[in-house]
Amino acid sequence: MMKRREFLIISLLVLGSIVSIFLNDIKPLPKIMDAKSLLYEVNKQGRYISTDEVAKMIMENDPSLLLIDVRSPEEYNKFSIQGAINIPADKLLDKKNRDYLDQDVYTTVLYSNGSSAADEAWMMLASYEYKGNKVMKGGLNAWYRNILNPQKPKPEKLTAELEKQYLFRKGAQIFFTGIQVSGASSANAKPKAPSKPIVKRKKKEVTGGCG
Amino acid sequence: MGPLYPQELLNPEYNLLIGFLIGIGFGFLLEAAGFTNTRKLAGVFYGYDATVIKVFFTAAMTALIGLFILHNMGIIDVTLTFYPKTFWIPTLIGGAIMGLGFIIGGFCPGTSLSAAASGKIDAWVFISGVFIGILGFIFTYDFIWEGLRKAGKMGKIDIAQWIGIKEGLFIFLLTIITVISFIVFQKWQDSWTKKMDKSDLDDLGL
Repeated sequence: MMKRREFLIISLLVLGSIVSIFLNDIKPLPKIMDAKSLLYEVNKQGRYISTDEVAKMIMENDPSLLLIDVRSPEEYNKFSIQGAINIPADKLLDKKNRDYLDQDVYTTVLYSNGSSAADEAWMMLASYEYKGNKVMKGGLNAWYRNILNPQKPKPEKLTAELEKQYLFRKGAQIFFTGIQVSGASSANAKPKAPSKPIVKRKKKEVTGGCG
Repeated sequence: MGPLYPQELLNPEYNLLIGFLIGIGFGFLLEAAGFTNTRKLAGVFYGYDATVIKVFFTAAMTALIGLFILHNMGIIDVTLTFYPKTFWIPTLIGGAIMGLGFIIGGFCPGTSLSAAASGKIDAWVFISGVFIGILGFIFTYDFIWEGLRKAGKMGKIDIAQWIGIKEGLFIFLLTIITVISFIVFQKWQDSWTKKMDKSDLDDLGL
């Protein structure tokens, strides 16, 4: 026998479920950092890496370096730093790119022609709390100025430090352009891009359970 | 607005305190409803008592419908609540073990604690068994259970998404199933209790 109270409860459930039919589905929201935390991240200066540091890492065959060209594929095919992989800015948040961009195995260095596009890309990644990304300061313009075509510092400004830097850059120029051999750019021969790291993601969800 | 804790609108201490208060209410009601009586829980399987089925189904449906409506009203964001990934193979096996445990032991993990608090010796034995099981699982996990634990991975998905229907429609269908199961279980219970002595029925609190 069904009691009156049970009948009431069941009626309420059925009523609620009928209302539910007309309601919207629950859509998962992407996790985005709030503006305050993002501002803090942006103001931290640690995200920049200089062209000289990048050049040094490439010359030393540093296996932890992962260069990412955020320009369009056309620009990437025309010229790119050796070993760089191309992830255009509009594809940054694609699922398949996440293993490159959200990990702490490689030092990921984003670059574009200047600093701004790479900086924007960095900010977008930071807002999704992707870790371990850096921006090459000055981008390819600085790369050309400093590494591919370094100018000798003027004698009146020459210090020991500047000279050392110039000598390094001159060496890097030979390394990257192969200028002694033919003057042709060797940058078109792209070595294979490094493989995706295997990342064990930390759980960020709230944890709980039932009794 | 809600949930409060994941959005840091509530500090961990108050979170624990609220959990504590809800726990007191939960334990009180379990005891008051007679769920610490092993025969009540086992009655679901023998067919003489449908209370447990009704209570748990009603609780689940109330939570489901309530959360869904509140989410749509913008009062609570369900996406921020804890929501485990689905591994169907270990869940199936675990469910079977749990069902067996219900009928053999006469407790579910929650009611065993309530019953232990009210001084039932069998509940203390049951809890000891639970801990032996937990420790046994922990210490053999790496070489026996890890493969099983990760079998049948489906990710974060619910049944409505899996079938590909609207969530509201799924809730409605589930409610219909619930109501039908109530009626069927009630009929089953009535057919049993007719044959039973009055003293047995009193013992069950029916």
